[in-house]
Amino acid sequence: MAQMETEVLIIGGGVLGAAVARELSRYKGDVLLVEKEADFGWGSTKTNMCIVCQGGDTLEFRPEYHRSKLVWDSIPLMEPLCQELDVPFKKVGELALIRNNEELSKFQKLKSRAEKLGLTGHQFIDQDSLRQMEPNITREAIGALHDPHIAIVDPVRLTIGLIENASQNGVKVMTETEILRISREANQFEVETNRGPVKCRFIVNAAGTSVDKIARLVNSDDFVLYPIRGYVGILDKNLGGLIKHEIHMRPDAPGQMNILTPSVHGNLFFGTTMQPALRGDCSVTGRIAEIGLQNVRKIFPDLSEKDIIHSFAGFLMFRNWEVGWHECVVQASQKVPRFISICIGYPGVSAAPAAAREVTELLRREGLRLETNERFIPIRKAPPVFNELPEEQQKKLIAKDSRYGHVVCRCETVSEGEIVEAIRHGATTLDGIKFRTRAGMGRCQGGFCTPRVVKILARELGLSEEKITKKGRESRLLLYKSKDLLEAQL
Amino acid sequence: MKLSDIDVAVIGSGPAGMAASIRAKEEGAEHVLILERQEQLGGLLHQCVHNGFGLFYFEQDLTGPEYGHRFAEKVKDLGIQVLLETMVTQISPDRQITAVNNHEGVLRLKPKSIVLAMGCRERSRGQLNVPGTRPAGIFTAGTAQRFVNVEGWIPGRKVVILGSGDIGMIMARRLTLEGVEVKAVVEILPYIGGLTRNEVQCLHDFHIPLLLEHTVTEIHGQQRLEAVTIARVNKDKKPVNGTERMIECDTLLLSVGLIPENELSRMAGVALDPLTGGPVVDQWRETNVSGIFAGGNVVHVHDLVDEVSWEAEIAGASAARFAKKEETEKEKKMLKPGRNIRYVVPQSISAQHDVTLYARVKDMEENVTLKVGDIFSKSLRVVKPGEMLKIDLSPSQLQQLKDDPVELSIEGSKRR
Repeated sequence: MAQMETEVLIIGGGVLGAAVARELSRYKGDVLLVEKEADFGWGSTKTNMCIVCQGGDTLEFRPEYHRSKLVWDSIPLMEPLCQELDVPFKKVGELALIRNNEELSKFQKLKSRAEKLGLTGHQFIDQDSLRQMEPNITREAIGALHDPHIAIVDPVRLTIGLIENASQNGVKVMTETEILRISREANQFEVETNRGPVKCRFIVNAAGTSVDKIARLVNSDDFVLYPIRGYVGILDKNLGGLIKHEIHMRPDAPGQMNILTPSVHGNLFFGTTMQPALRGDCSVTGRIAEIGLQNVRKIFPDLSEKDIIHSFAGFLMFRNWEVGWHECVVQASQKVPRFISICIGYPGVSAAPAAAREVTELLRREGLRLETNERFIPIRKAPPVFNELPEEQQKKLIAKDSRYGHVVCRCETVSEGEIVEAIRHGATTLDGIKFRTRAGMGRCQGGFCTPRVVKILARELGLSEEKITKKGRESRLLLYKSKDLLEAQL
Repeated sequence: MKLSDIDVAVIGSGPAGMAASIRAKEEGAEHVLILERQEQLGGLLHQCVHNGFGLFYFEQDLTGPEYGHRFAEKVKDLGIQVLLETMVTQISPDRQITAVNNHEGVLRLKPKSIVLAMGCRERSRGQLNVPGTRPAGIFTAGTAQRFVNVEGWIPGRKVVILGSGDIGMIMARRLTLEGVEVKAVVEILPYIGGLTRNEVQCLHDFHIPLLLEHTVTEIHGQQRLEAVTIARVNKDKKPVNGTERMIECDTLLLSVGLIPENELSRMAGVALDPLTGGPVVDQWRETNVSGIFAGGNVVHVHDLVDEVSWEAEIAGASAARFAKKEETEKEKKMLKPGRNIRYVVPQSISAQHDVTLYARVKDMEENVTLKVGDIFSKSLRVVKPGEMLKIDLSPSQLQQLKDDPVELSIEGSKRR
């Protein structure tokens, strides 16, 4: 492939890389974003609980830590951003459950500390009001502290919104592009990728769980990160309406968390256990799943194992195990000019809007000229989500394109029209379709729609069905044609 | 196309939906409509190219498509209206149906009565919580069946099957015939989940190893499945340390149970039985929502397609009578599962008419007696969860019923 040249190279198409790309698209100049996976937001961005300002972030705000400031500064930015990008955002509020006087006094301290720092709005809720607000949670709670700031989003859709808006405004993006080597020339970097060399002047390293590896490629080793694995379970939509707030219970054991929250798509998520683990090992162990269920039952005692439709593990990169999630990386390398690394660890989604601004500022300080792009359009229109439209609009859509009347994923009511549209927007894999349209994300987990989605992918991409993958690279779904193996034996 | 004045609307056109619609028509319902989400009538029968269908219903050994074809012809002959590629998205408690398709757009229908015949779906990996990574190459047995028999694709060449449900065992044979190496069928219980005839004809006859009291404890591979770890389990179904071994494979099929598909029933306010996962029905297969009936695997998962069709016929006939405003017997006695009975369908009976009860046991037992209250008892050599019990009762027997609820139980003998 021919040599590519760009002023700024962003490594990583997760929520942070995407947010930086979108922020930079406000200015003139060439920006290229590369993502090693087949689609955007497939690392830590997709494996979390989709909560913005999660787990008492605002309450446990610690001004001495940079990360807290980024989260706090992002609060007023997130909702308008989601509106501009046409992605779901819902303010649900948090209820931090109080089970005894010890917890009560702990929360009283946190609340008054938060107020002194200027963060207001927290309110104590008594047992009766709590019952009214959340009739299905444990009777053990004697009250709760309500945090109005907490909201829920769809981090993958947010990331795709950011990427698409950045592209609209001139940023180039490439998937399945992996960084192999980076060498420094006088005034620029020579970056070798699996899809050819890229010359650039600035690098934004937003490589998620690989952020330290990428930094080491340029011998910029001024931070160390420790991967921490968290476990999340997804509950059937039938239970969706039973919990309305993000519910947080103080964990009874170290290294655990205990959260139950609605998602923007009407499922419930529960999160539990965080423990050091090998990087990239997203496996869920039976033991973790068991603890997860035990923990969430403390909040929601009626929960049955059968209500879990799926579970997954995701990574947070902790800068320092001692201070946990309070530290993050948003910095220009001390050794290598024009090389910025960014890794929030937790919660990357919540901090993304402010972090992107800060990266832009760091780039300016490193010498990037920021000249306003007068043609910047902040508005991006998301492809239609059939299932969420009022009936009149559904009718119009089908009249315009009859494929919207052909439902492919029955659990989530996803139409062929949406799948075709997702492919036009860049989805090339089964998982790409899943995260963009929700086909295969419902209670049957793709049992019904997988063959149909594979067929549509093959048709639209002009490929044989054999070539269709789950998630790019070597993840082909169908290895042989009927009778191939028999002929091979003859 | 006329979509008003519908007497009976049937949701689904598998073996249940077709049988229900035919029976409704025969019972005198004038305008019967089938709503089917696929491109043709027949539901999952198309992908079931193996034989064993209709042994009882037609007293012939048919394949799934042949069995379906017979019903589909009758649907056509009787002038039953069919809407294909039409997805029902909602049913309200007052029997209003919302559906969507690519020719009419969004449809609103108000039939006099409804038969739920949505069938069932397979349990997925997510629900099983099998530990490990998330590579490509893990399919439910039914999804693989569709790929192989309808689409013409073979998922992989070295396969492990978790669970010994009927579809899993049938796919073990089907894949073997395609030149695939089926390394093992792994079953957590001490007995198979499906029918004995499938164990013999699909596994034993093809020398496919069946590992009872084993489970998959880990999935390996980042991109495509590379191997699974299996282990023996103790009687609490927990893996026994030290018995783990790795089996290299590129495909894992899951055949670990079927779940009646009742999302629409829920929307309509239909009460579900947590034991069956399907609607609570009376002898006429009417649900708690007046005018909504249900039959086939949506009510409870059957072993045999013949039984699915028969049960749906009861629902179809009842729905037709309801549409004609004929009164049905309202006096009811409840049935309840007793010792070693997992569930019983119907959940209530009128005690005035012939009735067939269907029940499933919790555990395998030998030399036992099946009892219905104090009016019926029968000695059985063996009972297995994989094989449904069927009990025909006559009005003269039912007249003697004193208890309400009536208990079904398995008595005598030691549990295995």
